[in-house]
Amino acid sequence: MTMLATTALKGPHVDFAALSPLIALLGGAIVVLMVGLLGPRRLRELFVPVLALVALGASIGLTIWRWNTPESVISGALRVDRLSLTLNLALAAGGIATVLLAWRSRAVREAAHGELYAMLLTTIGGMALLAAAQNTIAVFLGLELLSIPLYVMCASEMRRERSLESGLKYLIVGSVGSATLLYGLALIYGATGATDFSGIANAISNDGMASNAMVLSGIALCVAGLAFKSSVAPFHQWTPDVYEGAPTPITAFMAVATKVASLGVLLRLFDVAFIGAQSSWGPALATLATITILVGNVGALGQSSLKRMLAYSSIAQAGYILAGVVVSTALGAQATVFYLAVYVFMNKAAFAVIVVRERETNLGDSVHALAGLGARAPWLAWPMTICMLGLAGIPGTVGFIGKFQLIHALVSGNYTWLAIVLVVGSMISLGYYLPVIAAMWMRPAPSPAKAGAPGAIPAIAGGSQDLDDDDNASDDGSDGDGEENASGRWPEVAFVAVLSGATTIFFGIVPQPLFDLVHGVGSALGLM
Amino acid sequence: MSTTTYGWLVLAFPLLGTIAIGAGFKRLPGRSAGWIGTGTIFLAFLASLGALISLQGHAADHRQLTSSLWSYASTAGIDAQLSILVDPLSVFMILVVTGVSTAIHLYSVSYLDSDRGFVRFFAYLNFFVFSMLLLVLAGNFVLLIVGWAFVTLASYLLISFWYRRTTATAAGIKSFVINVVGDVGLVLGTFFIFKHTDTLDFLKTFSAAPHVFTSGEGDLTAGCILLLVGAFAKSAQIPLHTWLPDAMEGPTPVSALIHAATMVTAGVYLIARMHPLFELAPAAQDTGAVVGALTLLIAATIAVTQTDIKRVIAYSTMSQIGYMIMGVSVGAYAAGLFHLMTHAFFKALLFMAAGSIIGAMAGEQSLDRMKGFRRAMPFTFASFLIGGLALSGIPPFSGFFSKDEILLVTGELGGWHWALYVVGYIGAFLTAIYTFRMIFRAFFGDPVAEARELEAGHLHHAEQPTNPATGEVEDTDVGFPGPAHAIAERALPMRVAMGLLALGAVGAGLIQIPKVDFVIDDFLRPTFAGSALYEPHTRNGLLVFGLILGTLLGLSGIAIAWRVWVARPGIAPALRERFAGAYGLFVNKWYFDELIDALVVRPAAAVGRFASNTFERAFVEGTLVGGTTQIVRAASASVRGAQTGLLRYYAALLVLGVSGLGLYFLLQT
Repeated sequence: MTMLATTALKGPHVDFAALSPLIALLGGAIVVLMVGLLGPRRLRELFVPVLALVALGASIGLTIWRWNTPESVISGALRVDRLSLTLNLALAAGGIATVLLAWRSRAVREAAHGELYAMLLTTIGGMALLAAAQNTIAVFLGLELLSIPLYVMCASEMRRERSLESGLKYLIVGSVGSATLLYGLALIYGATGATDFSGIANAISNDGMASNAMVLSGIALCVAGLAFKSSVAPFHQWTPDVYEGAPTPITAFMAVATKVASLGVLLRLFDVAFIGAQSSWGPALATLATITILVGNVGALGQSSLKRMLAYSSIAQAGYILAGVVVSTALGAQATVFYLAVYVFMNKAAFAVIVVRERETNLGDSVHALAGLGARAPWLAWPMTICMLGLAGIPGTVGFIGKFQLIHALVSGNYTWLAIVLVVGSMISLGYYLPVIAAMWMRPAPSPAKAGAPGAIPAIAGGSQDLDDDDNASDDGSDGDGEENASGRWPEVAFVAVLSGATTIFFGIVPQPLFDLVHGVGSALGLM
Repeated sequence: MSTTTYGWLVLAFPLLGTIAIGAGFKRLPGRSAGWIGTGTIFLAFLASLGALISLQGHAADHRQLTSSLWSYASTAGIDAQLSILVDPLSVFMILVVTGVSTAIHLYSVSYLDSDRGFVRFFAYLNFFVFSMLLLVLAGNFVLLIVGWAFVTLASYLLISFWYRRTTATAAGIKSFVINVVGDVGLVLGTFFIFKHTDTLDFLKTFSAAPHVFTSGEGDLTAGCILLLVGAFAKSAQIPLHTWLPDAMEGPTPVSALIHAATMVTAGVYLIARMHPLFELAPAAQDTGAVVGALTLLIAATIAVTQTDIKRVIAYSTMSQIGYMIMGVSVGAYAAGLFHLMTHAFFKALLFMAAGSIIGAMAGEQSLDRMKGFRRAMPFTFASFLIGGLALSGIPPFSGFFSKDEILLVTGELGGWHWALYVVGYIGAFLTAIYTFRMIFRAFFGDPVAEARELEAGHLHHAEQPTNPATGEVEDTDVGFPGPAHAIAERALPMRVAMGLLALGAVGAGLIQIPKVDFVIDDFLRPTFAGSALYEPHTRNGLLVFGLILGTLLGLSGIAIAWRVWVARPGIAPALRERFAGAYGLFVNKWYFDELIDALVVRPAAAVGRFASNTFERAFVEGTLVGGTTQIVRAASASVRGAQTGLLRYYAALLVLGVSGLGLYFLLQT
């Protein structure tokens, strides 16, 4: 009896050093939340974002510290290796960009700085957890930790109807997705009796369960569940609505970080745990990738809302990345992670430009808001141009290298047909990326004296007092000024745009550092 | 600094110049763009000297140095690196290119002073120098192709510099199209070689070539002949030469730099660089030699009859490059490159002097209108005379030594090469005639009105600027030449530039005098160490015979020119009457333009029209493009149609999706 009690009480050994990148994020979230409650407003608005940046920076630093020491922690629940660390870097970089984009946005003032940034750090923590997850419990924990703050963040402009709609839709669809995944994981546990990936892999490969109905049903539900999160067609339909409605900095975050986390876990789950059933799920994922590439690219055509266009574009990109998971070779894993990493830069620039234009014109995220930007604000127009070309995969940008890697992996993994689909998708994608560039450089700027003021936002209970003060103050100020110096008034946003654009070009010309970064990923997963 | 660091610096300076001038397009005041351009090229020249000194510090068999800045893609069997090869050949080329370029940049500062496109001109000109240096420093085929194509682009931009002149834009397009034919040849040729050697690096290719190729092997010969297509297009050899005379539509410094001294010698450089391959493909070597010989003769006959002063020099350039191509194709590498260097000096000088006369004539280029400028423009006259004597091969001017050396090596090979030897000397005779025809017509006789005006101290300016080729009325805004004209007598930078080149034209020949000194031979030996053809034994009798024959032919050519165009001016029309057939052939440039028009342009246009009317409109646009866009558009509409915004539809699709997936997986059990 006593023996049983002592064994039951003895918790697993926790290696805090290996967990430190995650701890930095979650600890940062708590600190940020507390600081957000204190002090006068000016200090709060300065300290909270800075502390959030510090937490993210610390996470990056700790990630680099752990770079060469891969290990499993908490009884193998998490695996801190090249894959999770590389994804951590991408996530934290995306997080820093998001903090900068959100710094002076309506969303943070509406939801109060402390809350939004705390949720941001929590959700990044969830993503980092997901990227490192090595058993099904950790997967689900990570997924929920990433999802729940995101639902709230989408609705954080709580007096704008579209933002609320976006949050609600995301909540409902996301819950269905989580439930589906949970059901799938439960079935797999039921069949294999294991929650950790190596146990599942062992059961599937060695115990002849690769064609077990329960395992396969479980895999089917896992595919569907994760497909929701990474907006893979036909589970993508929430994406355009939610992206369009959410505050733009949040959309920017969701578009990149959610993809990184969910496709990262897809990589580990399928290429490690389910690798024995590859012949079953391979064709299914390949088909989903094909549908996703086609639906995303075709849907993006003719969208006049940039956020909607980028939502469809992100669906298409999810299809490309999923294709890298399908081949399940080391080359495929490297290509997947490479593309995930570069996908972060390319999208951030585009969203940064949208953020600036939303604040400076009353055209919202319409493509018309970009007209004439090339002449007026080249420091925004160039990054946008570069990133559109990068997303389309034009040589000279890192997007080309990323697609080239994916195609190389697909062709050498005997999925040539999927490579062709990818190329066809890229061809279609020019049909919506290039009009954006054309709008910036070839169309004259709209005359400033048109379109009425944006509809007044009703004061509702629970709204932020800070914001109401701001709104009242700006009523008697002039709203239409500042059209001329676009990058001057929002230096932190312009910085994100310029840095992302420069990175896209730099790694397009000198891709070797990125190759080195993702080099250990395939072997970390134990793939050939 | 290591030798290759100097090599990178040589590339960096012009690139920086281009970027600085291009970025400062609207802000650079006055002539500063010109001085930045000249300064960066001069720095590149100093770096080239540094590379030379540093290279000579290595042991003779270690003078082929490569350096790779980074590897762009080393995957799937391709080793595409950003690497340069610094060896005697490339150092020789960068010295010539940067040296002549510095002088021509300097000249341009004055020559284009009043042009509204001044800054743009120097951005282009620096870009050209960068491209040319990239071409000659490239350490592998990929970078060579990049440099090769950049040069094509730079040449196009500079020929069409006065972009509102229809003749200039047409000439630019012609140059671009023909050069792209050459680019394609170069790329295809590279593939033929790469297929067997599995490497794109020059040194690795050359060391692998003797093992993977047998002499005269089909693929190698095909590859080398395709490389020759590239060389012929860049170096304006028959039948890809027709762009060069038209390229004279560009500003005169462009003609001097690109279409005399540097770009057109790229073909010569290519054959010399690829000599280990060409020596394994005798058929390609013979092709090069014969085409070079034909070009030198045909171009010389055309030059005798042309009346546009710049076109005469352009045909002369073709002819001289014919000598070089012939030289490097028969193994006279050092001689061909020696001639490349001396030619760069005296031909750039001739163009600059011609530019000065054109300035005095207010843009007019026809020899028919020029006369008696000797007293009005003594400096220009002296420069032109020095260039002309060097071109005609009169000792001790530089052209005398270099041209005769090519012919000497050709003659020593014996056999059918004697025909080339004879053609070469006929060409030399014609060269003296057309060169002094220009000099006698432009500088002797009774001064024309413009010359008298200049003697009286006033530079002639037309009341209404016109296109000299068509007489179309122009203004002096951007896209057309500027309002003021420049002549060497009045602009110090032009005088300095011409003076420097005149020194080269007089003295450069002295560094390699047969039986006396062998600077070029010795310097280039490490590059050509593996060549059996490099060190032919000299037959003294032939050497002396050639030197005397060359001198005599040159002098008699000058004498004939004197008799026909100065002593008895009536002879020229009489000769024209007497040999109407030959005159018609020459003055119409052997009908090459018409021939290409009939053989290539018209059939291609007819095929194009047919394809456009039937195939393109019905099949491609109607079915392929139209059909595809219809499908994509319909799909787009249906995707957007499904996006109702209503959660219940999403839920329905979701259930459908999960069921589909579940069904699929259950079927696998």
